Amino acid sequence: MNWKRAGIAALCVVPLIILFGYGLTRDPKEIPSPLPGHDASPFALTVFAPGQAPLARAPGDTVKLADLKGQVVVLNFWASWCLSCRDEHQILSQTALDYVGKPVHFVGVLYNDEPANGTKWIEQMGGQSYPSVTDPGARTAIDYGLYGVPETYFLDANGRIAYKATGPVNERIIRYLVDSLMAVAAK
Amino acid sequence: MNIDESAVTPAKATKRRPIAIAAVVVVVGVFGWLLYGGLDKNVVFFLTPQELLAKGTSGYDVPVRLGGQVKPGTVKWDDKTLRLTFDVTDGQSDIAVQSSGAPPQMFRDGQGVVVEGRFGRDHVFNSTGLMIKHSNEYRPPKAGEKPQEMYKTLIKGSGA
Amino acid sequence: MTGLLAHDSILVSMAVVLFGMIAVPVAVRRGRRDLIPYAFAAVYTNFLLITVAALSMVYALVTHDFSVSYVAQVGSRETPLFYTVISLWGALEGSILFWAWVLSMYAAVVVWVNSRRPGNLVPYAAATLLFVSFFFAILLIGPADPFGVVKNVQPDGPGPNPLLQNHILMAIHPPLLYLGYVGMSVPFSFAVGAMLSGEVENDDWMRITRRWTLSAWALLSAAIIAGMWWSYEVLGWGGYWAWDPVENASFIPWLTATAFLHSAMVQERRGMLRLWNLNLVVGTFLLTILGTFLTRSGIVSSVHAFTTGTIGYYFLAFIAVVMLASLALVAGNSERLRSVGRFDSPMSRETVFLLNNLFLTAFMFTVLTGTLFPLAAEAIKGVKVSVGEPFFNRMSLPIIVTLLFLMGVGPALPWKAASKEEVKAKLLPPGIGASLFLVGGLLAGARNVYALLAFTFAGYAAFANLREYWIGMRARHTAHGEGWGTALFRLIGGNRHRYGGYTAHLGIILVALGIAASSTFRTEHEATIKPGETISLAGHTLRLKSMWGREEPQRSVVGATLEVMNGAAVNGTMEPRMNFYPMSQSPVPTPAVRSGFLGDLYVNLQAFRPDGSNATIRIIYEPLVPWIWFGGGVVVFGALIAIFPAGVLTGRRSEA
Repeated sequence: MNWKRAGIAALCVVPLIILFGYGLTRDPKEIPSPLPGHDASPFALTVFAPGQAPLARAPGDTVKLADLKGQVVVLNFWASWCLSCRDEHQILSQTALDYVGKPVHFVGVLYNDEPANGTKWIEQMGGQSYPSVTDPGARTAIDYGLYGVPETYFLDANGRIAYKATGPVNERIIRYLVDSLMAVAAK
Repeated sequence: MNIDESAVTPAKATKRRPIAIAAVVVVVGVFGWLLYGGLDKNVVFFLTPQELLAKGTSGYDVPVRLGGQVKPGTVKWDDKTLRLTFDVTDGQSDIAVQSSGAPPQMFRDGQGVVVEGRFGRDHVFNSTGLMIKHSNEYRPPKAGEKPQEMYKTLIKGSGA
Repeated sequence: MTGLLAHDSILVSMAVVLFGMIAVPVAVRRGRRDLIPYAFAAVYTNFLLITVAALSMVYALVTHDFSVSYVAQVGSRETPLFYTVISLWGALEGSILFWAWVLSMYAAVVVWVNSRRPGNLVPYAAATLLFVSFFFAILLIGPADPFGVVKNVQPDGPGPNPLLQNHILMAIHPPLLYLGYVGMSVPFSFAVGAMLSGEVENDDWMRITRRWTLSAWALLSAAIIAGMWWSYEVLGWGGYWAWDPVENASFIPWLTATAFLHSAMVQERRGMLRLWNLNLVVGTFLLTILGTFLTRSGIVSSVHAFTTGTIGYYFLAFIAVVMLASLALVAGNSERLRSVGRFDSPMSRETVFLLNNLFLTAFMFTVLTGTLFPLAAEAIKGVKVSVGEPFFNRMSLPIIVTLLFLMGVGPALPWKAASKEEVKAKLLPPGIGASLFLVGGLLAGARNVYALLAFTFAGYAAFANLREYWIGMRARHTAHGEGWGTALFRLIGGNRHRYGGYTAHLGIILVALGIAASSTFRTEHEATIKPGETISLAGHTLRLKSMWGREEPQRSVVGATLEVMNGAAVNGTMEPRMNFYPMSQSPVPTPAVRSGFLGDLYVNLQAFRPDGSNATIRIIYEPLVPWIWFGGGVVVFGALIAIFPAGVLTGRRSEA
């Protein structure tokens, strides 16, 4: 065994491995979005699914972005016909509960779906801790450049879009983004 | 995965080694250069309407993949001339797209699309390929849009 | 219940595999050869345990046990039984399970067959296979666990991906691909085994695995062709190859495997290219894993990509370990891999094989670069780009025509060195074939340089390969007075490896002709017509008879019935359809294809008015496309000729 040669050969593939590692952190399907860093467009949407105490809002209430200034907002677009939304449902619902009492606000936005279907879906999935709102005509979805569901937007305390996650989110991403946005807001 | 030059030259002829190495370097170099040249000319950039407009004149007449959403109310399809026009928007800017051929059956307002083609000086994007962005995991939205109901007339007509 | 059993059997298999992996080096280093049978037993036990897991999954799928996560993901009560069973490999987790199963089976068979061989090669090869198995077992209990327990058990599931339940070829393509991919791990494990056991100086590892390599190559070839066919029959775009990353992922290892099949002969006959061959075998295996990584991790964008999770990181770790270890091993052993023979003359078969290897490798790098370039561009420049077909076509066409030419030259030249007369006698006559095909191409209207070169060299190669049969047959006919049929039969039987190779060449030529003709002479037309109206293309006229719809258990179908007109007479019907699956947003087209000897009439329903008052029909004439599928069959047939045991004792050593 010639160790010097072995080492040199092995070194050759390191850049390739680094490239793949980098690739894993990217989503090739992600459409470059002009939105992150920009002000989030305002919305005022009606609650159809109240959520559970202590996060509950009465159905028919209006959730306005303007009212949420100073808080980190997690805006999750979903639909009852979307299968990947099932994957993230439990995680989102649970994580939202963990942030009760902190300046963080979770909102579900129903995309291209009937509120009745949405309510039924939430029931089937065993409830959702935070309220969901309807988005008639997908106006808000279009303002946010929604590409498909699920998609989750993280807005900082100044109402700017800090990050956009396409596809189901995992707990690590939510915690990382929410915690860092809260830390920035606290400064 | 390098060719060991000792495999292609006799083991004894160590004098020939530098020549062999040089040959390998030249071959690999020329090949790499060809690859680079090929890539340079044939890479298609992926842009949103805003990014494409920001490119100014350098954005004209180069292959581009334009990504965004179909702007509601802009879709026009003439099934006689097979001309399809619509606007693609990213929420900031819009670009008018012109395409030939039938729109995919589920093409509709607000749909995410990727359009491949070139942006003309007349500020119309000439599409050569239209890809609907969708996941196969999605159920059809809205009760009214279930295919069974959408094509009810046809399905009834067959007496099935 | 089934989920639990399967889960446990995977866990147990991991313990068994781990034991086997450790037992081998201990047995060798400590001189405890009595341990080796136990390591082999671990291979067999692993096979049994993974079989239990795989069959449990089939059982859960068939019984619609929606408490098993994979079934909840791909199962549906409406899906026909056949598609339910094949959804075993329809999504990520199931495909990993299937992969692990095939791997464990291969390992069991290859160890069983070679278990009596003395020396440390087979034990180390077994340990390598167990190592790969171990990785897949980790995936199965970690990021790709198909046996997860569903908390809210639903009464029904979404069913498999509509694209995958739309056509019978989907039942064939993935298993072929996995069988081919996984098959490459056998030569790899023996190559690694040879290096670890120090038996790399004799070429036993190559002799033992030759049939495995050939079978894996044949399966991979068949898989690629089946994938093309599926794309042609299901996606409705009228093409069969788009240089999509997932397609490339199956093609890249095929190129290196093809190179290896050729250069292995140089090593066997002339003792050269030994280091190179090791590199090819290791590289092929790495490329199969890389291909899986690319398609499973979602690292490159593709129409075929699976849903992603954390599995990419596991694959990356595995690739890193295997790459670093095997390259280090090859480089460390390189001094022991000196060539025994030498190149005597540029006019020899080994030179052609060397060129063939150079071009195949260049081809591999081209496709690999094009596939990975978007990733590199984003990493280095931060721009989102895609590499389109023009790049791949521009780069690969010169390589393809050169390879076609070499395919005609190689079989004609003898080993070592050819005399001037031999060269003349062998290389000039195929020029007749070349001229015929060139003229044919010109008459058919081809003006593109590459298309004409492809026709010319295909003609050259076809003539040269057929001539080899002819020469052999004539020799037998005159020497033994055999009839022509008998002569052909005995000729092939006497040297299966060689004539199997020539047959595979003929298959490749057919594929090349099909591709060249269909991409040069393809014509298409699209129009919106009302019932009773006609659409014409290239002498074919179709009349729209009616639009119809029907409900099937798992989908609704809208179709158009078109009559194929022959003057005023109706000469059959074609029914392109659109299938609407309840779980899918967009319909899956089913084009109608009418095949003839010279080409396909391909009709797709593009759009229609919901009331059936008109339909937009796209009609494509695709010359020689059926030749591609047929040629694929010939390639596999050629490989089968070479694989089948040749009278066990005769002719095994003497082939070309």
